[in-house]
Amino acid sequence: MKRIALVTFLLIGPGTALAQDRTLPEKLGAPARTTLQRLIDSARVAGLPVDPLYSKAQEGVFRGASDDRVIAAVQRLARELGDARAALGDSASAEEITAASNAIRAGVATADLTRLRDTRAKGRNSNHRLTVALVVLADLAMRGVPPSLAAASVNELVARNVTDNTLISFRQTVERDLVNGRSPASALDARTRSIVEDAERRRP
Amino acid sequence: MSEPENPHWLRQVSGELREEVPVRAAWRAKLLDEVARAPRPSPGAGDDETLSDPWASEARRPRRLVLHPLAGLAAAVAFAAVGAATTLAVMTRRAETPARTEVAAAQPASRTAAAPMSDATSDVDIVTFELSAPTATNVALVGSFNRWNPVATPLERDAVTGRWMVSLRLPAGRHVYAFVVDGDITADPAAPRAADADFGTPNSVVLVGGRSS
Repeated sequence: MKRIALVTFLLIGPGTALAQDRTLPEKLGAPARTTLQRLIDSARVAGLPVDPLYSKAQEGVFRGASDDRVIAAVQRLARELGDARAALGDSASAEEITAASNAIRAGVATADLTRLRDTRAKGRNSNHRLTVALVVLADLAMRGVPPSLAAASVNELVARNVTDNTLISFRQTVERDLVNGRSPASALDARTRSIVEDAERRRP
Repeated sequence: MSEPENPHWLRQVSGELREEVPVRAAWRAKLLDEVARAPRPSPGAGDDETLSDPWASEARRPRRLVLHPLAGLAAAVAFAAVGAATTLAVMTRRAETPARTEVAAAQPASRTAAAPMSDATSDVDIVTFELSAPTATNVALVGSFNRWNPVATPLERDAVTGRWMVSLRLPAGRHVYAFVVDGDITADPAAPRAADADFGTPNSVVLVGGRSS
């Protein structure tokens, strides 16, 4: 155990936590940098989170994308962030907006995001983060689960006030079912029903 | 204050006080004899108990210290060594303090293989990224937290388990990342996928700490 702890410390080092770097890659051409900076400044003025935009540009350069492709990707993400913010409302955190934008990209309707937000807000005691629900929702949609079905299941679980860990386990078990050949609809229905029934049994 | 400067009444009073008090001769002789017989106080002595303490008087006895040059040099070296050791001990303790904190904080670290999302509520959490790649020779981590720099965060191969791993302190929030396995970019098979395949393969998501509104 001590050895593990020591190795952990050596790997971690005494440094400070890594954080998002808000600079555009120097490998981008000057025109692309100017375009991206204007885009990011506009997003900032609109109250959207800009860290994902910087990250997207950095990822594009890392993956060897052309300047035009990087600009297109950042433009698309900025648009999705705006849609996500509109769906969740002005009080949504940067983390929630970013996760919701990812769900939109995965095919989830903005109306479903708004419904999920409202369901969580009605919860008596929120055991979960909205971001976790949004990440699970996007992941399920990415893995072939119909987005509307995925949204309905996650919404039902959030309405039952399940914990973050339950949502994470839900995602993992559905993923395992899919890998084992089960149909997305069947896997989703069975796992959702299992958690709901378990929650009903635990209710005093 | 000099005598001429004293007012008249003060000079009169002081003059009367200076006049010898008439004492019987026998009493006077006896008093002077007792004073003469009393032990003379040592310089700096303050009370009778100290005066009667033989150890104290021995300690106060003046001595002549003869110091050989080599002995003086040795004493100087010893003094410097003690000082250096003390300084080193203090600096080591300071350096170890964050280490203990780190190790303690590492206990609840999230492992992407088992729990891809941290359930901690702190602003910063330690996240351990793991990947099973037995035949790989080089594995690195890229993501929103390191500018997607493929050389910034290499993973170390655990000799026992054969798994590649690295632990990072990440601020609270949603982070997107991927592994670079011998030059190939791949998502974390144990983590949620991000729907962001703008440049090819999708990335993975890790949530760290924090609690949203």
